[in-house]
Amino acid sequence: MEFLCIGLSHRTAPLGVRERLALPEARQVELLQRLAQSPNEAFLVSTCNRVELYMAAPDMNRVRESAREELQQLGGPDALEHLYEHRGEDALVHLFRVAASLDSMVLGEAQILGQVKEAFEKGQGVGAVRGELTRVCAAAFGCAKRVRTETAIGRAATSMASAAVSLASKVFDGLKDKTVLLVGAGEMAELAARHLKQAGATKLLVANRTLARAEALAAEVGATARPYEELFTLLTAADVVVCSTASPVPIFTKENVGAVGKARKHRTLFMVDLAVPRDIAPEVGELDWVHAYDVDDIQKFVAENAAARAEEAQKAGVLVAQEVARFVRDRAVRNGVPVLAQLRQRGESIARAEVERTLAAIGDGLTDKQRKSVEAMARAIVNKLLHEPTARLRSVGPEHEGNRLAGAAAELFGLEEAAPPTGAGGPNVVANGGKG
Amino acid sequence: MNHALVSLACHAYVVAALVYLVYLVRQMDALATGGRVLVGTGLALHAVALVGLFGAQGGRPVGVAQGFSTFAFLLLTIFLVVDVCYRKPVIGAFITPLAVAVLMPGLLLDPGHVMSPDVQRPLLPVHITIALLGVAASAVATGVAVMYLLMERQVKGKRFGLLFSRLPSLEFLDTLNRRLAVLGFIALSVTLVTGAFFSSAAPGFFWTWTSKQIATLVAWAVFAALVGARSFGGWRGRRVALLTMTGFCLLLVSFLSSYDFIHVGGGAH
Repeated sequence: MEFLCIGLSHRTAPLGVRERLALPEARQVELLQRLAQSPNEAFLVSTCNRVELYMAAPDMNRVRESAREELQQLGGPDALEHLYEHRGEDALVHLFRVAASLDSMVLGEAQILGQVKEAFEKGQGVGAVRGELTRVCAAAFGCAKRVRTETAIGRAATSMASAAVSLASKVFDGLKDKTVLLVGAGEMAELAARHLKQAGATKLLVANRTLARAEALAAEVGATARPYEELFTLLTAADVVVCSTASPVPIFTKENVGAVGKARKHRTLFMVDLAVPRDIAPEVGELDWVHAYDVDDIQKFVAENAAARAEEAQKAGVLVAQEVARFVRDRAVRNGVPVLAQLRQRGESIARAEVERTLAAIGDGLTDKQRKSVEAMARAIVNKLLHEPTARLRSVGPEHEGNRLAGAAAELFGLEEAAPPTGAGGPNVVANGGKG
Repeated sequence: MNHALVSLACHAYVVAALVYLVYLVRQMDALATGGRVLVGTGLALHAVALVGLFGAQGGRPVGVAQGFSTFAFLLLTIFLVVDVCYRKPVIGAFITPLAVAVLMPGLLLDPGHVMSPDVQRPLLPVHITIALLGVAASAVATGVAVMYLLMERQVKGKRFGLLFSRLPSLEFLDTLNRRLAVLGFIALSVTLVTGAFFSSAAPGFFWTWTSKQIATLVAWAVFAALVGARSFGGWRGRRVALLTMTGFCLLLVSFLSSYDFIHVGGGAH
């Protein structure tokens, strides 16, 4: 099985392209089902900052082509130029880094791990993730946990939501007497609400299409839920607006925000859009009294502050490298063992066949003791011959030697057609889970 | 002696300005404290010098050199009060260089010609001091307005550089600008009223259409409009910042036209 990561992120693609690739759930499932026909596996990480397909397949070239085609169809002709690919071990490193929040817009933000986990579970749910990617993800999640506990990266940074609150503090002199309106009641809204509260905001309103969800969030964070129909009345009273809905079209446009300007006496309005696709049309920021920021603006802001976290990120990078190496080593051992078993099986069957032929040729001229001696000798020769290769294969070194050796052994002894070790993988004995 | 004290104070202000500019780049508490102490020390020396001078002149500055010197003194006094009240030392990076620029003519212009002019009028020291306080308040308001405009550029243009991270929030700058403009407006109003009294006390000179009078009246109108538009029209932000700067320029014209530059030091006030 070979690994591939193909996708785009805030590093390579502008918001417009990412918006096109932000697929609704049903289409994500269809995509996964098309790409992950057995023995292939796949899952899709789709957040506002990245859309990435992680795949494991025995014949990666074919799968890669179809993945690229799918992404191009969804994201338009210019999507291809924003795509990046990581193969083999590089794909593993990338996934580990993403899960550990080292590739996030806000280094160290905790949300991404939950999002990757969700993507993995979704893949499992539709049968697109089976043995190989399950093991990869388990290792990636373990690594993320280690990064979080062993470095200060999670403490230094928090999330897009906290960056948004920092931005608000450049417009307003404290949030204590400000009215904050949360549009959307998802995880992002919850995070934003917590940060806003921490920053001193006391008057929080939640508006969501489903009132019940708004009420649930309001109860959880100490806000007030309001009917979505009142949105523009609420906008008149609000000083800070945080949007994070799944709306496919902008909720706030220059026209409808501009219309409340007079009613609010053009009081300063700070709007943050944490959603992709955007909830706030870019032109809204042209209004004199509105300061509107979207996810890319926040990324820019975060990038300016990133230097402080660079050191922790470096430490985390070392941890990721260690964890990837360990995973690759474990995988090699796992994949190496069936080669050993097959090798032993092959040796023993040859020994048995030769003993039988020899004994048949000799006829009844041998005593039971002599027969047993012949059998023992045949086994001993096989054992002696296989002793060294067995020891070598078992003591696979850290540099994926095991995998190469397993492959070499399989080829030398003609084991290519061997059955996979588990139901999930393909012919792994020659797989290059190491360098792709 | 007094000149030496002002010169010493000026040195303190120059160092303070440098300290505040460094603070703009490297935000260290020690720099903020250093700047505050330097400005405070400079003001103390400056005050001693001004008291010494005014004592001999009927309690008021005489001549353009002293006018500038008093202007700088009041400007930095307002800044120090703002700094102590709000603890935003970064304002110092914008105000102290301005104060140094204002004080320079006070030091460089020859103070030797200064002599006690015409008759004593009891309201004159009050009139002049309050007028200068108004100019100083509007100067600080203008410094804050410049900061506002700079910050607004960063916030609107999404430029997250040094200024963005260092300057106070837009709301703070706008509120401070409002308070200073109100102070300036009150001082200007008192100036006009005392000026009217003072002029009418001199026979036949209630309103003489001098550039000083016109500039002061227009500046007062600008500040009145500014305070009114803020209170009743909900004006804020950039428009108000630009109006503040306009008002200050007019006041500067009024201030400069108070002095007869041809005969340095010979002007009345």
